[in-house]
Amino acid sequence: MSTENPYAQYHVVKKGDTLSKIAEEYYGDKMLYPKIFEANKDVLQDPNKIKPGQKLRIP
Amino acid sequence: MRFANVFVALAATTLMLVGCASQKEPAEKAVAQAESSLAEFRADAEKYAADELAKVDESITRLKNSLANKDYSMVVKAAPSLSSTIASLKQSVAAKKADADAMMAAATAEWTDISAKVPQMVQAIQSRVDTLGKSRKLPANVDKATWETVKTDFETMKTEWTDATAQFASGQADAAVRKAREVKAKGDMILAKLGMTPA
Repeated sequence: MSTENPYAQYHVVKKGDTLSKIAEEYYGDKMLYPKIFEANKDVLQDPNKIKPGQKLRIP
Repeated sequence: MRFANVFVALAATTLMLVGCASQKEPAEKAVAQAESSLAEFRADAEKYAADELAKVDESITRLKNSLANKDYSMVVKAAPSLSSTIASLKQSVAAKKADADAMMAAATAEWTDISAKVPQMVQAIQSRVDTLGKSRKLPANVDKATWETVKTDFETMKTEWTDATAQFASGQADAAVRKAREVKAKGDMILAKLGMTPA
Protein backbone atom coordinates (compact mmCIF):
# COMPACT_ATOMS: atom_id res chain seq x y z
CA MET A 1 0.00 0.00 0.00
CA SER A 2 1.52 3.31 -1.10
CA THR A 3 1.57 6.26 1.23
CA GLU A 4 0.06 9.28 -0.46
CA ASN A 5 1.70 12.62 0.12
CA PRO A 6 -1.06 14.82 1.61
CA TYR A 7 0.49 17.87 -0.09
CA ALA A 8 0.52 16.36 -3.55
CA GLN A 9 -1.78 18.04 -6.04
CA TYR A 10 -4.39 16.13 -8.00
CA HIS A 11 -6.50 16.84 -11.04
CA VAL A 12 -9.76 15.08 -11.79
CA VAL A 13 -10.01 14.63 -15.53
CA LYS A 14 -12.94 16.44 -17.18
CA LYS A 15 -14.43 15.83 -20.60
CA GLY A 16 -12.15 17.33 -23.24
CA ASP A 17 -9.02 17.22 -21.09
CA THR A 18 -5.76 16.01 -22.52
CA LEU A 19 -2.44 15.59 -20.72
CA SER A 20 -1.10 18.51 -22.78
CA LYS A 21 -3.94 20.79 -21.66
CA ILE A 22 -3.45 19.71 -18.06
CA ALA A 23 0.30 20.37 -18.33
CA GLU A 24 -0.43 23.82 -19.77
CA GLU A 25 -2.77 24.57 -16.85
CA TYR A 26 -0.41 23.50 -14.06
CA TYR A 27 3.00 24.12 -15.61
CA GLY A 28 2.39 26.77 -18.26
CA ASP A 29 3.97 24.41 -20.79
CA LYS A 30 2.05 21.65 -22.60
CA MET A 31 5.32 19.97 -23.60
CA LEU A 32 5.82 18.92 -19.98
CA TYR A 33 2.91 16.43 -20.22
CA PRO A 34 5.31 13.43 -19.91
CA LYS A 35 5.88 14.46 -16.28
CA ILE A 36 2.19 13.89 -15.57
CA PHE A 37 2.16 10.63 -17.50
CA GLU A 38 5.22 9.29 -15.63
CA ALA A 39 3.65 10.19 -12.28
CA ASN A 40 0.46 8.30 -13.13
CA LYS A 41 1.65 5.13 -14.84
CA ASP A 42 -0.34 3.15 -12.29
CA VAL A 43 -3.56 4.45 -13.88
CA LEU A 44 -2.47 5.44 -17.39
CA GLN A 45 -1.11 3.10 -20.03
CA ASP A 46 -1.22 5.57 -22.92
CA PRO A 47 -0.61 9.35 -22.54
CA ASN A 48 -3.23 9.97 -25.25
CA LYS A 49 -5.93 8.04 -23.45
CA ILE A 50 -7.32 9.64 -20.34
CA LYS A 51 -10.88 9.35 -19.12
CA PRO A 52 -13.17 11.80 -17.30
CA GLY A 53 -13.21 11.08 -13.60
CA GLN A 54 -9.65 9.79 -13.44
CA LYS A 55 -7.70 11.34 -10.57
CA LEU A 56 -4.23 12.25 -11.73
CA ARG A 57 -1.34 13.32 -9.53
CA ILE A 58 0.28 16.53 -10.70
CA PRO A 59 3.91 16.41 -9.58
CA MET B 1 31.89 29.69 102.87
CA ARG B 2 34.54 30.16 100.25
CA PHE B 3 34.64 26.40 99.76
CA ALA B 4 30.85 26.39 99.12
CA ASN B 5 31.17 29.16 96.48
CA VAL B 6 33.95 27.31 94.69
CA PHE B 7 31.91 24.12 94.82
CA VAL B 8 28.86 25.85 93.30
CA ALA B 9 30.97 27.41 90.57
CA LEU B 10 32.58 24.07 89.77
CA ALA B 11 29.22 22.32 89.72
CA ALA B 12 27.73 24.94 87.39
CA THR B 13 30.66 24.69 84.98
CA THR B 14 30.45 20.88 84.99
CA LEU B 15 26.73 20.97 84.30
CA MET B 16 27.29 23.40 81.43
CA LEU B 17 30.00 21.25 79.89
CA VAL B 18 27.91 18.09 80.21
CA GLY B 19 24.93 19.89 78.67
CA CYS B 20 26.99 21.09 75.73
CA ALA B 21 28.53 17.68 75.17
CA SER B 22 25.11 16.05 75.23
CA GLN B 23 23.99 18.33 72.38
CA LYS B 24 27.01 17.56 70.23
CA GLU B 25 25.63 14.36 68.81
CA PRO B 26 22.16 15.77 68.00
CA ALA B 27 23.80 18.76 66.33
CA GLU B 28 26.07 16.60 64.21
CA LYS B 29 23.14 14.37 63.29
CA ALA B 30 21.04 17.38 62.35
CA VAL B 31 23.67 18.70 59.94
CA ALA B 32 24.24 15.24 58.46
CA GLN B 33 20.50 14.77 58.01
CA ALA B 34 20.15 18.13 56.27
CA GLU B 35 22.98 17.34 53.85
CA SER B 36 21.63 13.85 53.21
CA SER B 37 18.11 15.13 52.50
CA LEU B 38 19.42 17.73 50.09
CA ALA B 39 21.67 15.25 48.29
CA GLU B 40 18.58 13.24 47.25
CA PHE B 41 17.41 15.97 44.92
CA ARG B 42 20.41 18.26 44.52
CA ALA B 43 20.80 17.61 40.79
CA ASP B 44 17.19 18.57 40.08
CA ALA B 45 17.45 21.54 42.45
CA GLU B 46 20.48 22.83 40.51
CA LYS B 47 18.44 22.64 37.32
CA TYR B 48 15.10 24.00 38.47
CA ALA B 49 15.76 26.10 41.63
CA ALA B 50 19.40 27.12 41.66
CA ASP B 51 18.90 30.35 43.65
CA GLU B 52 16.85 28.67 46.36
CA LEU B 53 19.39 25.84 46.53
CA ALA B 54 22.19 28.37 47.03
CA LYS B 55 20.35 29.86 50.04
CA VAL B 56 19.91 26.44 51.62
CA ASP B 57 23.58 25.67 51.05
CA GLU B 58 24.48 28.92 52.81
CA SER B 59 22.34 27.91 55.79
CA ILE B 60 24.04 24.52 56.00
CA THR B 61 27.45 26.19 55.81
CA ARG B 62 26.51 28.46 58.74
CA LEU B 63 25.43 25.47 60.78
CA LYS B 64 28.65 23.63 60.00
CA ASN B 65 30.59 26.68 61.14
CA SER B 66 28.60 26.68 64.39
CA LEU B 67 29.36 22.99 64.74
CA ALA B 68 33.07 23.65 64.27
CA ASN B 69 32.85 26.40 66.91
CA LYS B 70 31.13 23.91 69.26
CA ASP B 71 27.99 26.05 69.36
CA TYR B 72 25.86 22.91 69.42
CA SER B 73 22.76 24.47 70.98
CA MET B 74 22.60 26.95 68.09
CA VAL B 75 22.69 24.11 65.58
CA VAL B 76 20.06 22.10 67.41
CA LYS B 77 17.84 25.19 67.65
CA ALA B 78 18.15 26.01 63.91
CA ALA B 79 17.81 22.45 62.64
CA PRO B 80 13.98 22.17 62.55
CA SER B 81 13.63 25.36 60.51
CA LEU B 82 16.31 24.21 58.07
CA SER B 83 14.63 20.83 57.75
CA SER B 84 11.35 22.54 56.91
CA THR B 85 13.06 24.75 54.31
CA ILE B 86 14.64 21.71 52.66
CA ALA B 87 11.27 19.92 52.57
CA SER B 88 9.66 22.98 50.92
CA LEU B 89 12.48 23.21 48.40
CA LYS B 90 12.04 19.52 47.56
CA GLN B 91 8.34 20.08 46.86
CA SER B 92 9.04 23.18 44.79
CA VAL B 93 11.67 21.37 42.71
CA ALA B 94 9.36 18.40 42.15
CA ALA B 95 6.58 20.70 40.92
CA LYS B 96 8.89 22.58 38.56
CA LYS B 97 10.30 19.30 37.22
CA ALA B 98 6.80 17.99 36.59
CA ASP B 99 5.93 21.17 34.67
CA ALA B 100 9.12 20.94 32.63
CA ASP B 101 8.49 17.26 31.84
CA ALA B 102 4.92 18.03 30.75
CA MET B 103 6.14 20.83 28.48
CA MET B 104 8.77 18.55 26.98
CA ALA B 105 6.16 15.86 26.33
CA ALA B 106 3.87 18.37 24.61
CA ALA B 107 6.73 19.76 22.53
CA THR B 108 7.82 16.27 21.54
CA ALA B 109 4.29 15.34 20.48
CA GLU B 110 3.97 18.48 18.37
CA TRP B 111 7.40 17.91 16.87
CA THR B 112 6.44 14.36 15.94
CA ASP B 113 3.41 15.69 14.08
CA ILE B 114 5.18 18.55 12.28
CA SER B 115 8.27 16.49 11.44
CA ALA B 116 6.04 14.04 9.59
CA LYS B 117 4.38 16.81 7.58
CA VAL B 118 7.19 19.17 6.66
CA PRO B 119 9.30 16.67 4.68
CA GLN B 120 6.20 15.76 2.67
CA MET B 121 5.57 19.44 2.06
CA VAL B 122 9.15 19.92 0.93
CA GLN B 123 8.89 16.95 -1.42
CA ALA B 124 5.70 18.25 -3.06
CA ILE B 125 7.07 21.79 -3.43
CA GLN B 126 10.46 20.59 -4.68
CA SER B 127 8.80 18.54 -7.40
CA ARG B 128 6.76 21.50 -8.59
CA VAL B 129 9.64 23.96 -8.40
CA ASP B 130 11.84 21.57 -10.40
CA THR B 131 9.14 21.19 -13.08
CA LEU B 132 8.37 24.89 -13.32
CA GLY B 133 12.10 25.52 -13.60
CA LYS B 134 12.01 23.56 -16.88
CA SER B 135 8.84 25.22 -18.16
CA ARG B 136 9.01 27.61 -21.11
CA LYS B 137 6.61 29.91 -19.34
CA LEU B 138 4.86 30.07 -16.00
CA PRO B 139 1.32 28.82 -15.42
CA ALA B 140 -1.43 31.44 -15.48
CA ASN B 141 -1.78 31.51 -11.70
CA VAL B 142 1.91 32.27 -11.02
CA ASP B 143 3.46 35.56 -12.11
CA LYS B 144 7.21 36.18 -12.34
CA ALA B 145 7.47 38.10 -9.04
CA THR B 146 5.62 35.32 -7.21
CA TRP B 147 7.87 32.71 -8.83
CA GLU B 148 11.03 34.51 -7.67
CA THR B 149 9.62 34.87 -4.14
CA VAL B 150 8.67 31.20 -4.08
CA LYS B 151 12.17 30.10 -5.03
CA THR B 152 13.81 32.28 -2.37
CA ASP B 153 11.32 31.37 0.33
CA PHE B 154 11.65 27.68 -0.47
CA GLU B 155 15.42 27.75 0.02
CA THR B 156 14.94 29.57 3.32
CA MET B 157 12.33 27.01 4.33
CA LYS B 158 14.72 24.12 3.71
CA THR B 159 17.55 25.81 5.64
CA GLU B 160 15.30 26.61 8.58
CA TRP B 161 14.01 23.04 8.62
CA THR B 162 17.58 21.76 8.88
CA ASP B 163 18.16 24.17 11.79
CA ALA B 164 14.97 23.05 13.56
CA THR B 165 15.92 19.40 13.19
CA ALA B 166 19.37 20.08 14.65
CA GLN B 167 17.81 21.99 17.55
CA PHE B 168 15.50 19.11 18.38
CA ALA B 169 18.34 16.60 18.18
CA SER B 170 20.34 18.69 20.66
CA GLY B 171 17.51 18.67 23.20
CA GLN B 172 16.09 22.14 22.51
CA ALA B 173 12.58 20.84 21.95
CA ASP B 174 10.74 24.12 22.65
CA ALA B 175 12.93 26.16 20.31
CA ALA B 176 12.76 23.44 17.65
CA VAL B 177 8.96 23.36 17.75
CA ARG B 178 8.72 27.16 17.52
CA LYS B 179 10.93 27.13 14.43
CA ALA B 180 9.10 24.12 13.00
CA ARG B 181 5.78 26.00 13.23
CA GLU B 182 7.32 28.89 11.28
CA VAL B 183 8.70 26.49 8.67
CA LYS B 184 5.32 24.83 8.20
CA ALA B 185 3.60 28.20 7.92
CA LYS B 186 6.10 29.19 5.24
CA GLY B 187 5.42 25.93 3.43
CA ASP B 188 1.67 26.55 3.53
CA MET B 189 2.27 30.00 2.04
CA ILE B 190 4.44 28.61 -0.76
CA LEU B 191 1.88 25.94 -1.58
CA ALA B 192 -0.82 28.61 -1.76
CA LYS B 193 1.31 30.78 -4.08
CA LEU B 194 1.86 27.83 -6.39
CA GLY B 195 -1.85 27.05 -6.40
CA MET B 196 -1.22 23.73 -4.70
CA THR B 197 -3.50 24.19 -1.70
CA PRO B 198 -6.36 21.68 -1.71
CA ALA B 199 -9.70 23.24 -2.66
